[in-house]
Amino acid sequence: MKVLVTGAGGFLGVHVVERLLAHGYTDIRCFLRDSSKADRLLQLSASHQGAQLELAYGNLRSKSDCARALADVSLVFHLAAGLKGSAAELFADSVVASRNLLDALNARDDSFGQKARVVLVSSFGVYGVVPLGRGVQVDERTPLEDHPERRDIYSYSKLRQEQLFWDYQRKAGYELVVLRPGVIYGPGGGAFSNRVGLQIGPVFFHMGGNNLLPLAYVTNCAEAIVVAGIHPDSAGQVYNVHDDDLPTASRYLREYKRNVGRIRSFRMPYFAVRLLAWLLEAYHRHSLGQLPAIITRYKAAAAWGGNKFSNSKLHQLGWSQLVTTYDAMAANFQYLHKQQEKE
Amino acid sequence: MTSKIAIVGCGKIADAHVEEIRKIPSVQLCAVCDLEPIMAEQLATRYSIPGWYFDVAAMLDQEKPDVLHITTPPQSHLALTRQAVAAGCHVFIEKPVALLHRDVQAIIAAATGAGRKLSVNYWPNFEAPALELRRLFETGALGSAVHVESFYGYDLAGEYGMAVKRDPEHWVRRLPGRLFQNVLDHVLNKIVPFLEDEEPLIQTIGYCGDGEGTEARPGQLLDELRVMLQGAHVSAYATFSAHARPVGHSLRVYGTKNTAHVDFAARTLVLDRKQGFPSALGRLAPPFLVATDYLRQGLKNINSFSHARFHYFDGMRRLLTEFYLSIERDSPPPIAYSEILRVSSMMERIFEQVYPEVFA
Repeated sequence: MKVLVTGAGGFLGVHVVERLLAHGYTDIRCFLRDSSKADRLLQLSASHQGAQLELAYGNLRSKSDCARALADVSLVFHLAAGLKGSAAELFADSVVASRNLLDALNARDDSFGQKARVVLVSSFGVYGVVPLGRGVQVDERTPLEDHPERRDIYSYSKLRQEQLFWDYQRKAGYELVVLRPGVIYGPGGGAFSNRVGLQIGPVFFHMGGNNLLPLAYVTNCAEAIVVAGIHPDSAGQVYNVHDDDLPTASRYLREYKRNVGRIRSFRMPYFAVRLLAWLLEAYHRHSLGQLPAIITRYKAAAAWGGNKFSNSKLHQLGWSQLVTTYDAMAANFQYLHKQQEKE
Repeated sequence: MTSKIAIVGCGKIADAHVEEIRKIPSVQLCAVCDLEPIMAEQLATRYSIPGWYFDVAAMLDQEKPDVLHITTPPQSHLALTRQAVAAGCHVFIEKPVALLHRDVQAIIAAATGAGRKLSVNYWPNFEAPALELRRLFETGALGSAVHVESFYGYDLAGEYGMAVKRDPEHWVRRLPGRLFQNVLDHVLNKIVPFLEDEEPLIQTIGYCGDGEGTEARPGQLLDELRVMLQGAHVSAYATFSAHARPVGHSLRVYGTKNTAHVDFAARTLVLDRKQGFPSALGRLAPPFLVATDYLRQGLKNINSFSHARFHYFDGMRRLLTEFYLSIERDSPPPIAYSEILRVSSMMERIFEQVYPEVFA
């Protein structure tokens, strides 16, 4: 069985390829945009006996590249997505690219399109947690966001991307499995999620407080994607992905300071965050956008609303953490410490 | 009466158009359009715009806008302009106006032939310091122009630059003048008001700033450009740099009386004045005179900020306001067509020197 992994050169993509190899899938087409990200895939190929990694370069904004990526493939792991940039770039890289891929899947004349299985890596950001109030548990039954325009662009683009996959699934009938990871972290990733706080100038504004941080260590996340992606009972299902024994945002920050280095941080309780958001919104409105409303009450409620999380559905599928949260955080901080020393 | 505005092309720059249009009370943004429906939908959703389309003919037919903003890649500008003016729209075009000079001529001819007005998004020229410079020049405070230096920096490591760099099929890379064509309007449109010759002498050097020399490898982008222009009375030097830091954006006009320096990034205008102090005193005074200018500019900027007139694209808001007013009053548009044509003519002559194989 030929497997396609889009975004294979990315932070998560390399780990998904590694876990696929570990689960015995050796015939893998790694689709990536940037040839400079091929090194780790080539290392994987060299270190796994029998691995047949095909490195395919292209851009999913191109319909012909999508058709080329899908040729002879029966299992698709779609990880490619825009992570930063303007709204137009994010939508082009996440949503338009996904639509092109789905069109190419539908257009296959070998009726393979209907038989194929597609595994989409979505995001926690698609949930509409704000109307549910503070402290609500987020699981796979939590409603999707009704007001994507009030959220950050990344969450909006991921929501639109996921909606597109469900729409096409209903029309074309292929098997769809959706994974919604929380905060993916680990060596090669960033230091802080917005759920911990925001770096504004020289000060880190710690807004997450004692909220649980839905961390998903990159190896554990990749394992979850592969386990769910290949499980016979997962078709049509959604799985939240995060580790067990989640730390709070304040514990994460404390451990960061202890293991990586000192940063100047300022803790803002939730009521102060709401007040600041209200002021920023009011000024943004009054000044017609002279300063960006980087925090709004809606965004604050979504990011720092103190949700609880459940990964029990993923556990029921047979997933378990490969790396404990303790070891994962240690490895992450060790990497960040080395990075800081290099700088 | 409120004018109806529509936009075709929902890429990155369309956000700026939407935000500036919404600041002008006399107009209403009625719809946006993109060949890619997802792009039109996301823009309309984020800004609560009532209509979105993926067929510009349908949008023009159903919305009947008074003005169409064309923010698509330049390859489509001529056809869209013809379609817009045939539907009775005035046209506001994003730079670069077109691929070739003859297309720019055809665009202007299409608009004027249909009795419609047209303008181009030369927004930095409508920033407060740029307008002040023009006023100083027109009132004779600088004397006659002798030489002009226009500098434009670009960060290819930024979001947009990376998108251009990593995508060999990016529309910018398919322009006859490649990366330079997407930015050179902003370098040259500051020079043409002072250098009025139709065909100045032009000497150009384009090269790769990472040491690859003047010959680009296949697919590689030239990202440094130096242009010397010589008119009958005024010379100019235009610089585009993707490597100089900080990323600057400035204009210096050397006059027979005084020299003015506009920093578009800091929004300042300072003058190097002739001063009459004798001997060593004459060397002591200038820093304080310039410092006074900077202090005055800083206070002006604070005043603008406090009155919510310090947005990044404030120049675009001014330009659009003037353009919409010119339509309402049937007066000349804010940018003379002759200036647009001279910019486009210079650009093409520069690209002929940098990429002779394209124009062979």
